[in-house]
Amino acid sequence: MASTPETEGQKPKHRPIVRIGIFIIAHSFIVSVVCCTAGVLALLLLPVLAKKTYVSENALMPGSAIPMITDQDVSGANNFINELTSLNLKSQSLNIEIPRLIALHMANLGGEVSYHMFQNQPNKFHPLHFFTSTDTEANNVNQTCESYATNTVGIIRAPRGDGKESIVLVTPYNPVNLSPNETLSLGIAYSVFSLLTQVSWLAKDIIWLAADSQYGQYNSVAAWLKDYHTPSFGGFGKLHDDECHISNDIATEVSDTLRRAGTMAAALVIKVANTGEAGEQDALNIYAEASNGQMPNLDLINVVSYLAVHGQGLRVQVDKLVSLLDSTWLKFIGEVFETVGKIARSVNPQWKFGISVKEYVEGSATLVSSLYNQALGVPTGSHGAFRDYQVDAITMEISPKLFSNSKGRQTELFRGGRLVEGVIRSVNNLLEKFHQSFFLYLLTSSNKFVSVGVYMIAFLLLVAPLPVLAASLFSDTIKSYVESEKNEPFKSWRWLYPTKTVFLVHLWGAIVSLLPYFIYQIPDSQPTSRLLIWASLSLFILFVLGSFFRARSAEWALLKSVTVSSAFIGLCLMSVINFATAEIGALLLVPMCLMTKPWRVAGKVQSALNLVLVIIGFPGATFFVVKSVFGFENGSSLVEFWYWVESLWAWNSATYIYICMVHLPCWVLCIYILLHPC
Amino acid sequence: MRNREINNFLSRSILTTLLVITLSLSSSSITHAAVHTNNWAVLVCTSRFWFNYRHMANTLSLYRTVKRLGIPDERIILMLADDMACNARNKYPAQVFNNENHRLNLYGDNVEVDYRGYEVTVENFLRVLTGRHENAVPRSKRLLSDEGSHILLYMTGHGGDEFLKFQDSEELQSHDLADAVKQMKEKRRFKELLIMVDTCQAATLFSQLQSPGVLAIGSSMKGENSYSHHLDSDVGVSVVDRFTFYTLAFFERLNMYDNASLSSLFSSFNPNLLMSTAYYRTDLYQEQVEKVPVTNFFGSVMKTIHTDSAYRATSGKDSSWVKYDVTSGQSDDVDARRMTSSDPEKQVDHPDIKLVKGGGCPHADWWNAIVEKFQGIKNGDMIVNYGLVGMLTLVAVSTWQSS
Repeated sequence: MASTPETEGQKPKHRPIVRIGIFIIAHSFIVSVVCCTAGVLALLLLPVLAKKTYVSENALMPGSAIPMITDQDVSGANNFINELTSLNLKSQSLNIEIPRLIALHMANLGGEVSYHMFQNQPNKFHPLHFFTSTDTEANNVNQTCESYATNTVGIIRAPRGDGKESIVLVTPYNPVNLSPNETLSLGIAYSVFSLLTQVSWLAKDIIWLAADSQYGQYNSVAAWLKDYHTPSFGGFGKLHDDECHISNDIATEVSDTLRRAGTMAAALVIKVANTGEAGEQDALNIYAEASNGQMPNLDLINVVSYLAVHGQGLRVQVDKLVSLLDSTWLKFIGEVFETVGKIARSVNPQWKFGISVKEYVEGSATLVSSLYNQALGVPTGSHGAFRDYQVDAITMEISPKLFSNSKGRQTELFRGGRLVEGVIRSVNNLLEKFHQSFFLYLLTSSNKFVSVGVYMIAFLLLVAPLPVLAASLFSDTIKSYVESEKNEPFKSWRWLYPTKTVFLVHLWGAIVSLLPYFIYQIPDSQPTSRLLIWASLSLFILFVLGSFFRARSAEWALLKSVTVSSAFIGLCLMSVINFATAEIGALLLVPMCLMTKPWRVAGKVQSALNLVLVIIGFPGATFFVVKSVFGFENGSSLVEFWYWVESLWAWNSATYIYICMVHLPCWVLCIYILLHPC
Repeated sequence: MRNREINNFLSRSILTTLLVITLSLSSSSITHAAVHTNNWAVLVCTSRFWFNYRHMANTLSLYRTVKRLGIPDERIILMLADDMACNARNKYPAQVFNNENHRLNLYGDNVEVDYRGYEVTVENFLRVLTGRHENAVPRSKRLLSDEGSHILLYMTGHGGDEFLKFQDSEELQSHDLADAVKQMKEKRRFKELLIMVDTCQAATLFSQLQSPGVLAIGSSMKGENSYSHHLDSDVGVSVVDRFTFYTLAFFERLNMYDNASLSSLFSSFNPNLLMSTAYYRTDLYQEQVEKVPVTNFFGSVMKTIHTDSAYRATSGKDSSWVKYDVTSGQSDDVDARRMTSSDPEKQVDHPDIKLVKGGGCPHADWWNAIVEKFQGIKNGDMIVNYGLVGMLTLVAVSTWQSS
């Protein structure tokens, strides 16, 4: 009763959620600082928060069966290697002889053999075919038979299986220049193939693809996969002219038409590394990143690493950024986390989240590499071709200590054969596609991962200030506007003017992203000149657009508000497509967008900081800075940047679109705000 | 003379009515007093998929054991949710083993699977228990037990708190099971029922059971897992569960004529070896598990019924049994002879109740009186005629009274 006169005097109260929103917007500065700091901290904490991997699918049962590979299989593989090597030494037309030899051996073991011939498809930028595979154009008419590469495909039909599923083994080799590593990987596949033709427990067909990688490892596998998944009706099954076929002296067993088995459950790319590292153990490198940061199901990696570690005693490695291992600041952060962990444990022995400095640094190096590889959107090997067909695939690269002598080679064959057999037997137990474990994860070591639920927190914290800041700027401007002149209509629609500017800049971004297609039409141009043409054309178009649609000079605050909103939308969209790109993009874009302010309004310190951020924020500058800091490659020229961008669109990477259509426009808008005359 | 005749008629007619009442009374009193006449087994493996090989092996091992101990195939309902023997991943086609030494093929020629593959559903399982089948279901797929049956119900699969998963798609809950058992009891489909479950948290499956005569054994308590016993690295899967393995180990030492008690089976489970605590629920079971031989459920050994004439043995109502068990050995023969010498009319069905003397129970008195009367009457037609006339008189008297 007593409170009623008070409440009557006040305005009607909002609901709590609205009040919280108003409170947050009112304190946008603190919220921004806290959220950004927390976001960066969460990112640094990821190696600490990483969980141990575990085989999630019950059906897999890795290692439950003893390997059955015998001396006979291995000695057969040894002979096969010897034959390959001797052929490599004496023969002339290797790109025909080697597939024939492989086919002969596959047929002798009892597999169904067929050749798959394909031509090199040069990577071209097709702006309208983004994300879709380019259709086979008829541009290969006037090419000769020598331009064909030949994949040899051997299929083992599961004796009692239903023939609806298959497991693929891929061994890339270059017939023109066959290296000992490639012969060894072929030998490993041979030994496994030899075993699997005899076993009675196969439920899925086995396909061994000896991929002719003279046009690139990825291309050969991609070409085969494409033909495999393209339905052929009637006589269309023969893909190429008859005259180009390998003359066939293995009687009728080798088929010219593409043979198929069931849908692919999983694919393993077997490779042998060039030089064994100086480690005391043989190592196994696992490469998993496919295009646009897609990863195979974590269970596949788990099975391989479990069998490699527990079955064969191999040291399993995933790609890591070696230069980070010695970085002092990372060590410092690691030490901080270690001490925090120790203190926490002394407070409560139940809390176990501290990890050692070494573990932290290694985890971070792997995490950065994992993030970079995913963000780039370029597959790290020929397994990437499988991911485009939703097949889980990884590359297993065995790096042996020594295999120059025949005994060392024998053990390597045994070990590799056992490992591949174990993985195949485990995948063979699978009843459905891989679906149980994670698809969205970052690896911090071969047996530790950060799942999407954890790493999204870092990203969300990082981008959370953007909408808050946008709302706060907007409400401030409207408020000041209301106070100054009250009689103008449509005052709440004033944000439309800056929106037009923002829209134009994004349109410009879209045009910039399409320009390379036209630049490619200019014949005989150097990468540097192409880059310069690209840059100048872009600038020209920007000025033209700017002069045509001379926007009414809006308040910078409203313009910033809309810019920040568009950056937020762009980042969130990108996080769905490729999380790693969005995370790295947010690290660059969010501070730049939050800090930017016209230099006349801002203080000197803030202007200087803005300038630094804007310089770093330019994609080219970022590229050079990142390269020099992490030492990815040496030599820093414009050419390299051009090649880098070229590789992005050649691999249909969404990162390219992100850079051109989100990052670049936001960068331009930030500069515009910075130079705003007020 | 006329009066006397009427009196006689009246007494005869009353006697006939009483006879009818007595007959109905005696048939209702038989429900809790049935004799153990046969043994049935319902063996269920509820899980699919290759990695659940062990569940099929469990069930087939139990199948083999109960067959060995004397339950005939026609009285075993075997439900297998998947066919591991013909799975393409099986290294030994058409064979199932429960041990890595591969000596004993459980899936030989003489295995009759009644429900296989997708036929094994919760619905079919409950239909089998309650006996509510479609008309077309053959006799071999029905549990044709009666009030004298001892039923062994063995189930294995993946379960949890108060449920057992069927086929990776549905589940049997503890109250479903309790309800089915209650229906069975109501329909007099069993005398005693032993439910044996090998699954995680098996004990929870019994929590809703209420029907008398039910004994339950579970492999693990609530919150505990049941584990597999060992992995066959040749076949590449685990081939048997711990609880079943040790149950089988117990039974392998027995033959058809051993009279090891249920309590010795219970005490043979070592929690350290099982890695879980076996659970027994005996509160619904009237008899003492120390005295009940395991072959009461796992075998087909039952009390024989000694009768003087073939006619009585089939009538079922006045049949009597002798406290005599074939399995208990030769010494029992003497006992049996002693028992058979006593008056078969004076035997009581339930073993716990001692002999009832004439006059002690009104029901028995009536019965004796009726029997004496029967024996006194020479001509059967006379009774019928008297009865009809008596009823007519009754009708006449009653109409006269009412008018």
